[in-house]
Amino acid sequence: MTLTIDRRQLLAGMAATLAFSGIGLNRANAATSMRLLWWGSKERSDRTFAAVKAYQAKNPDVTIAGESFGWDSYWTRLATQTGGGNAPDLIQMDYRYIFEYARRGALLDMTPYLGKSLAIEDFGAPNINSGKVDGKIYGVNLGVNSSMVVVNVAAWQEAGVEPPHDGMTWEQLGEACAKVTAAKKRRGFYGTADQSGGEPDFECWLRQRGKALYTSDGKLGFEAKDAAEWFSFWDHLREIGACVPADVQALYKQTLETDMLVTKKAAVSYAFSNQFVAIQGLVKEKIDLIAYPSDPGSKPGQYLKPSMLMSVSATSANKDAAVAFVNYLVEDPEGAKILGVERGVPASPKIRDLLTPDLDATSKQVVDYIGRLTPKVGALPPSPPNGAGENAFLLKKIAEEVAFGKTSAQDAGAKFTEQAAANITRG
Amino acid sequence: MRVETYQKAPSAFARNAPGYLFLLPWFIGFFGLTLGPAIVSLYLSFTDYNLLQAPHLVGLDNYARIATGDDKFISSMKVTLFYVVCSVPLKLAFALMVALLLNRGIRGLPIYRAIFYLPSLLGSSVAIAVLWRQIFDGDGVVNTLLWYVLGINGPSWISNPNYSLYTLIILAIWQFGSPMIIFLAGLRQIPTDLYEAASLDGASKARIFFKITLPLLTPVIFFNAVVQTIDAFKAFTPAYVISSGTGGPIDSTLFYTLYLYQEAFGYFRMGYAAALAWVLVIIIAVFTAFSFLSARYWVHYDD
Repeated sequence: MTLTIDRRQLLAGMAATLAFSGIGLNRANAATSMRLLWWGSKERSDRTFAAVKAYQAKNPDVTIAGESFGWDSYWTRLATQTGGGNAPDLIQMDYRYIFEYARRGALLDMTPYLGKSLAIEDFGAPNINSGKVDGKIYGVNLGVNSSMVVVNVAAWQEAGVEPPHDGMTWEQLGEACAKVTAAKKRRGFYGTADQSGGEPDFECWLRQRGKALYTSDGKLGFEAKDAAEWFSFWDHLREIGACVPADVQALYKQTLETDMLVTKKAAVSYAFSNQFVAIQGLVKEKIDLIAYPSDPGSKPGQYLKPSMLMSVSATSANKDAAVAFVNYLVEDPEGAKILGVERGVPASPKIRDLLTPDLDATSKQVVDYIGRLTPKVGALPPSPPNGAGENAFLLKKIAEEVAFGKTSAQDAGAKFTEQAAANITRG
Repeated sequence: MRVETYQKAPSAFARNAPGYLFLLPWFIGFFGLTLGPAIVSLYLSFTDYNLLQAPHLVGLDNYARIATGDDKFISSMKVTLFYVVCSVPLKLAFALMVALLLNRGIRGLPIYRAIFYLPSLLGSSVAIAVLWRQIFDGDGVVNTLLWYVLGINGPSWISNPNYSLYTLIILAIWQFGSPMIIFLAGLRQIPTDLYEAASLDGASKARIFFKITLPLLTPVIFFNAVVQTIDAFKAFTPAYVISSGTGGPIDSTLFYTLYLYQEAFGYFRMGYAAALAWVLVIIIAVFTAFSFLSARYWVHYDD
């Protein structure tokens, strides 16, 4: 059998093919399809998918595909996707990484959208600025957050010691914790977690003394003796038996499941306020949250920070649509209600008022804490220089050296300062 | 259709075409997933690539830093060398011991072989590392046993820098299955008449082992030693899981590959990490070459 095609038929066929493919192309262009990437728990995924679904119902020409990972694999995934020129349109961003990504040109500058499709003026300057890098908006605050001291109220009452409260000094908290350990009501139980390797905690201590982790021009904002004093303070707590021993603290793997309070090793631990609900979920006993201790006359150490941000990729083909979705999440009553306070307390007062009446008791504790803390906080610290991410791990390592008795607090102070400075010089 | 009445001799390529066709997946895999990325990584090792911006050539900067001023390179190398030097001989000795026991022709041998081989299959998996973490935890199985049997309150093995590396070495030894199977095959190759002659001469068991079994087994020992050494240098998963990717406490489990991973994906220094990877290639090559050179003095091939 032969198939003969004359020229006219061939041309007609080609035209038809072109026409059909043209329709196909046009359709693909008209429908906006975007990708959204975030890290977090199942609770967060359920809420995020629900918000996406509600948004798509209202905007039938938009489709958003969502993907979620754990914290660790999230950053590997995002870095490789971005490096491979395949970044998601919408990126859940962390305050620790926004500077790295923004300064390396991976994120969209959203400043031109402000007051137009990005109507977040009611956030107030501090909460808008928390998404800025070098004066431009690269991320939108998804929830206000601060550090907190978590207290297992039941364990304190059982030990017959009055639970800690806002406004204690560091020394008072330490002594109270030593009493909990001494009460020996539970096996292998101590007053507090050893937080000497915790960067937010060290930063708070520095700020209370008028210092900082980093200056605005990207240098270290403290000296060796500040770090040495911090390490000696924790050495002192170890001596009086207030905090967990080094090999117990080393079991903490930066996850809520291994938190010293959750694993029932300590009556006090330290975390961020948006994690309070999740910690209460992991602990059967009643817990409370209080502000960090501070000495009389000290400066404000804590500050409000975004628990996480939403950014748009600089290479997104649908920048306008992506920004509109970001706005939906934080300023549209429907979107914000679906997300709730799972990513922190909403920055918009309008949305916060809208949500508060329906919250459960634990979430209300968090909203109340942020309200109580707000008048006492200091300014958001200047953006950390490149390479600062490594210093968080360095602090943990050197704090462990002190805790295991391999280095003195004095030497550790000098060592940390020197190596931290070298890390940021390297970038 | 016309029927061919004679057959032209097919060209060599045509004759081998099915072979090449079946090899195609391997070729694609080798060039696309092994050789290609290797060449790219060699190029990246001379750049400051940070994943987000285009790489810039920086010459030998990365290698110069490795050679002169990187404490973590030195400490991670020390941890890895210690791990290699401890785990490989112990693992081989253990594997040989079990292989000798199994070689006695006991009943149900295939079952034992399978059971002993199982840890090797599972050993480098995340699940086993998680299990290991729980066994050596402060309230883990090991400490519970120590408490009930000896009345000792054991430390938390994995979170104490004095012990954490040893738990990983024990984990490596426990995965003795694959060298054990190879030893078993090697033992079967030794001619039985040698043993018969030796026992007729009244040689002791120890003497038979050191004069017959061990010398004739040296090619297999050599093979196992080289393979296991390379594997040990590349160890990653157990340390990653047990220390949650930190290499802690106090860098006591900071394996070389873990440090490389941290530089690449933790701190976005892809170029530096690529250089670290190539230094590891060179180190493994040197070790392997050294093994081959030394082999002529202690490996006996039966001829």
